[in-house]
Amino acid sequence: MKQFNNTFLKIAFAAIIVSLVVACSNDYDLNSLDETLFVRHKNADMPAYIKGNASEKVFLITLHGGPGGTGLGFTGTAFNTIENQYAVVYFDQRGSGNSQGHYSEEEVTIDIMAEDVLALVKVLKHKFGNDSQFFLLGGSWGGTLGTATLLEDQSDFKGWIEVDGANNPAGLYDLYIETFTTTANTQIALGNSVDFWENLLQLVSQVDPINNANDFDKLNREAFKAEEKLVDDDFIDSVENGIESNNTFFVYNFLTTGWNNSQIASILVDDQGLFQTLDFTSRLQEITIPSLFISGKYDMVVPIASAQAAFENIGSTSKELLIFEKSGHAPMFSEPDRFATEVLQFIDVHK
Amino acid sequence: MKKYSIVFLLIYTINLQAQHHDIDTNSFMNRTEFRIAYSGTILWSNGISIGAEYSWKDIEKSKERRGTNRTNTHQFLFNGNLGFATNFASKTDTGGFANFGITWRRTNKKGKQFSIDLNPLGYYRSFLPETYEVNGDNVDKVFLPGRGYYSPSLSVGIGKQRKGKVRSGSYFNITYNPRFNYNAGTLPTFSLQYGFRFNFKNKK
Repeated sequence: MKQFNNTFLKIAFAAIIVSLVVACSNDYDLNSLDETLFVRHKNADMPAYIKGNASEKVFLITLHGGPGGTGLGFTGTAFNTIENQYAVVYFDQRGSGNSQGHYSEEEVTIDIMAEDVLALVKVLKHKFGNDSQFFLLGGSWGGTLGTATLLEDQSDFKGWIEVDGANNPAGLYDLYIETFTTTANTQIALGNSVDFWENLLQLVSQVDPINNANDFDKLNREAFKAEEKLVDDDFIDSVENGIESNNTFFVYNFLTTGWNNSQIASILVDDQGLFQTLDFTSRLQEITIPSLFISGKYDMVVPIASAQAAFENIGSTSKELLIFEKSGHAPMFSEPDRFATEVLQFIDVHK
Repeated sequence: MKKYSIVFLLIYTINLQAQHHDIDTNSFMNRTEFRIAYSGTILWSNGISIGAEYSWKDIEKSKERRGTNRTNTHQFLFNGNLGFATNFASKTDTGGFANFGITWRRTNKKGKQFSIDLNPLGYYRSFLPETYEVNGDNVDKVFLPGRGYYSPSLSVGIGKQRKGKVRSGSYFNITYNPRFNYNAGTLPTFSLQYGFRFNFKNKK
């Protein structure tokens, strides 16, 4: 019995040592990366989840929506396909997802958040080499942040992909009124979800014509409901086609991300009033890298006119605007195959 | 705040040691129970906590109810805990914690217990994976990356006493422990503890 115990202890000890050595190992396979690292910048620690095929050292850095979303919120059929060919970097922005730190509310600005993205690029270069190539993709609020990042410094990026991005958050208010009115009239004429659209028209007639935070909130909430109706009536393909939220459920503590979301949104949206004041339209000329704009035809949250204005004003000589016919605010989930094909093609051409 | 918390914890530990010398050793050990518990949220974090509690005051209260005399014991205890929890689905939510404070516990004749732990002295330290700090154009790898937070706690729980046994009881607590200052505010966190208490002076 004593002999058995000694043998058992030796095996257990060896197993623990091997586990510790393996756990401490920094080896990674560039062909199928699955790394998590943190970027510490200006008192924030922000995780970057790096997944996919980095054999060519081409990295697609993604900026989530919100403000206050989660980096891995993009994962699904489309990004799985992209990961097969290139590495995708899912980044939890300052105050979002699993980011942490100690900083004041004054250190939460879109300028500092743009610097965070540039800090991420520096870390990736440090880890994977200066010969790495970067593409930037921003969805919704990520489009706003991506634009701010490129206006700060676009020299490290080979291309910019904006998906339902808001370059002019202050202009969304007027776009809501205009888009809701047009869409509601069309849907009522077709006899689809008539009660909902009539109520929406009533709301539009009641809101103040001048952009204000309270009415903006109401319209923004209705935009999401409007997309649900358009899914019900078969104008938008369901996001269930390409979403993978069940895979990220255990990664993000629901309470932590919910709390972070409310905090960051409160600072940027309520206190700083970004959706009443921020407009990059006049500076889009400064962005000259190849750019691809993707918008859902029935996007009610950041209406298609926003992408059209960005496309017209961007300074890039190589630019393209793609309208996804069966999508709303999430073309990567509604039409995942086309989304992956277009993004991969853009990277292939400009890498 | 972190420095003050550490000084408080040290003084508190020294005080407990001082009390140890004022009373005889057996009595101190009899009044001390050790505990070990699962600690976590089940879905997003899982870990373990160990601790000890020293019974400071025992008060017996009797009252008549439905014609019978009922005696409940009310205890005030000092408690201290150390723990560790991680999210196995990610590398982004791992941390250790220590907290100290006072417990009020009521035990009825059948050994059923209700308790409230108030631990104003608490510290949480996150442990992050590979981390790089960026200052201007400089990128440096951080040694032992993570952050410390002041993290007091409040627990409410139920339990069962096993009088005279080495495994002297079991308990289930729901704990609220905020982390100050987390990002630009305070992060509220909740966790569950299910565990056992041990009194090694008991014979069975």
